[in-house]
Amino acid sequence: MVDIGLFTQIVINGLLLGGIYVTIGVGFSLAFGVLEVVDFAVGEYVMVGAFTGAVLAPLFGSEGIFVIPIVLVAFFALGALIQPMIHHVTTGDRPHPLLMGLVFTFGLATFLRGSVLTIFGPNNRDVPSSLLTGGVSVPGVGTFPVVRTVTAVFGVSALIVFMYYLYRTRGGMAIRAIAEDRTNARLMGININRYQSIAYGAYAALTGSAGVFIGMTFTANPGMGLQYTAFAFFMVVLAGMGYLPGVIIAGIVLGLTQSFTAVYISGNLVLLVLFAIIYLVLLVSPAGILGKGEWAT
Amino acid sequence: MTDGVPFLDRLPGARRYWYAGLAVFLIAWPLLFGNFWARIGVGALMWIGLAQSWNMIGGYAGYLDFGHGAYFGIGAFAAGIAMVQFGYPFLVGFALALVVSAAIAYLVAVPTLRLTGAYFAIATWAFAESMKQVALVTEITGGTFGLSLPRSPETFIGVPVPFQIGETFFYYAMLVLCLATLALTYYLFERHEFGYRVKALRDDQDAAESLGIDTTRVKRQVYVLSCMVAAVFGSVHAWYIVYIHPNDVLAAIITDRMVIMALLGGLGTLTGPVVGGLLVFLLERLSSVFLGSTTFYLPLIGILIMITVLFAPSGIIGILRGEVDRDEVRKNVKELGEKFDLL
Repeated sequence: MVDIGLFTQIVINGLLLGGIYVTIGVGFSLAFGVLEVVDFAVGEYVMVGAFTGAVLAPLFGSEGIFVIPIVLVAFFALGALIQPMIHHVTTGDRPHPLLMGLVFTFGLATFLRGSVLTIFGPNNRDVPSSLLTGGVSVPGVGTFPVVRTVTAVFGVSALIVFMYYLYRTRGGMAIRAIAEDRTNARLMGININRYQSIAYGAYAALTGSAGVFIGMTFTANPGMGLQYTAFAFFMVVLAGMGYLPGVIIAGIVLGLTQSFTAVYISGNLVLLVLFAIIYLVLLVSPAGILGKGEWAT
Repeated sequence: MTDGVPFLDRLPGARRYWYAGLAVFLIAWPLLFGNFWARIGVGALMWIGLAQSWNMIGGYAGYLDFGHGAYFGIGAFAAGIAMVQFGYPFLVGFALALVVSAAIAYLVAVPTLRLTGAYFAIATWAFAESMKQVALVTEITGGTFGLSLPRSPETFIGVPVPFQIGETFFYYAMLVLCLATLALTYYLFERHEFGYRVKALRDDQDAAESLGIDTTRVKRQVYVLSCMVAAVFGSVHAWYIVYIHPNDVLAAIITDRMVIMALLGGLGTLTGPVVGGLLVFLLERLSSVFLGSTTFYLPLIGILIMITVLFAPSGIIGILRGEVDRDEVRKNVKELGEKFDLL
């Protein structure tokens, strides 16, 4: 017998989680499109964002959401300064540029994780949230936890702003042009260094602030990064590589999968279920669930 | 023609004296320095072997396998289950580790080797994490209690052996396995036609296919082989440390270490993982002994990897071989500076 109340509650939680995962997935997908490098550090930006929240929130009335503007600016600057290095290792006359890009971001991820682990130790830290507590009950539907709802609202509005920039402004057009063909974009007089840095910075800022929200929803731990790296990759494989609308659906599927697995199977087995899904998708439909991406080969 | 020539004289140049000296040194090591240093030796040899096993798929084939540590754990648990749950001697567990790891590696390889680059990396990582979660909940692996392996003279081959199963025994076991791994790598990847096929598919998969190489098959072969090597070390490690737990032998840090060792030393080279393995292993030990911090080596190594990739992409081996000289580094610094022109 399936408990309908529980079922709708799980759907609500899953959808709200999906909102923030979409933010990570879209930024990640864009960084891949522009830089042609798949970023291993994505989950570590989430982790560092969560720890920034844990450290700074007590200074701002124990409310993680007040840290968001700082995280946005700081991570944008961080990303903008890291991008030239990634660009450097993936271009030029060196052998295996793609492999080098992966290796570099792996080094970066190791550095970030190791630093946080050395400074803060292996224990969990809370990102305090004194204002966003409790939940709003909607009769007949279920409870909307405030933290998760605000998180999802942030995720969706960040996504809309980001999409507006990408599709309705000159800068966004430049970024899309670079994603399509870097050499030709450069020939058209686009400063590719600048726009690549903007794109990577925006991605880092989105991911870092998503980290603060994830820290508020769950907790902050130095080892949490890899899980979100896996989530980002999961979304992109499920969506079909290079297909942005697919990422939005994949993010929601991810949120629902996580909350259903946690309730009906076990919270520890989320990754196993995700691996099983990836395994099946790759065997049955390598171009993603919608069949519209490039083959994941 | 070479029949009458002693083996050492067939080795090129004066290197043979170095090899002979090194061989004597390695054999005498545990006898000269005692148990503590034998223990260090066991660790160093195991990590060199593991780094080399990762280098087969990651370096020579160019597939970054981030779930490689899972096979170390699978080997450990195969040996553990055979010895504890079924009461077999270690050799049976060792054989079981080979068979089970090969079977699992094959099943994982079929879909995941369709992926390249980071997608392959993350799919294998998710696989490794799920293996750990499975091991934590199943009964046969001891679940959250882990397994305690028996270690007495009759648990080796079933009948009592006339020597002690202690540090010295494991040192020589690891020495043999490590040298066998290096020899296998040398023969298969540096001398045999197989190595050329593997490198061809790494450098350009389409071109390799147009030359008639069945890339899917070659990839699968390298993957299964490298996973079996990792499982072999896992099974011996399990018997060596006597107690295994999913959180230890299936930890993600095991994969990370292998990757870091191979990367830092130099990908796709025979000597790179040896140099990298020794360096990282000693760095880790030294930082935990002298700084009292077991994690400080991580950010240090992260920075080292970033600097290596930025300025000397062929690793420490590239520097030692003179492929990366001052001009190369200067050129890299200049080019990197140009890319910071953001305004």
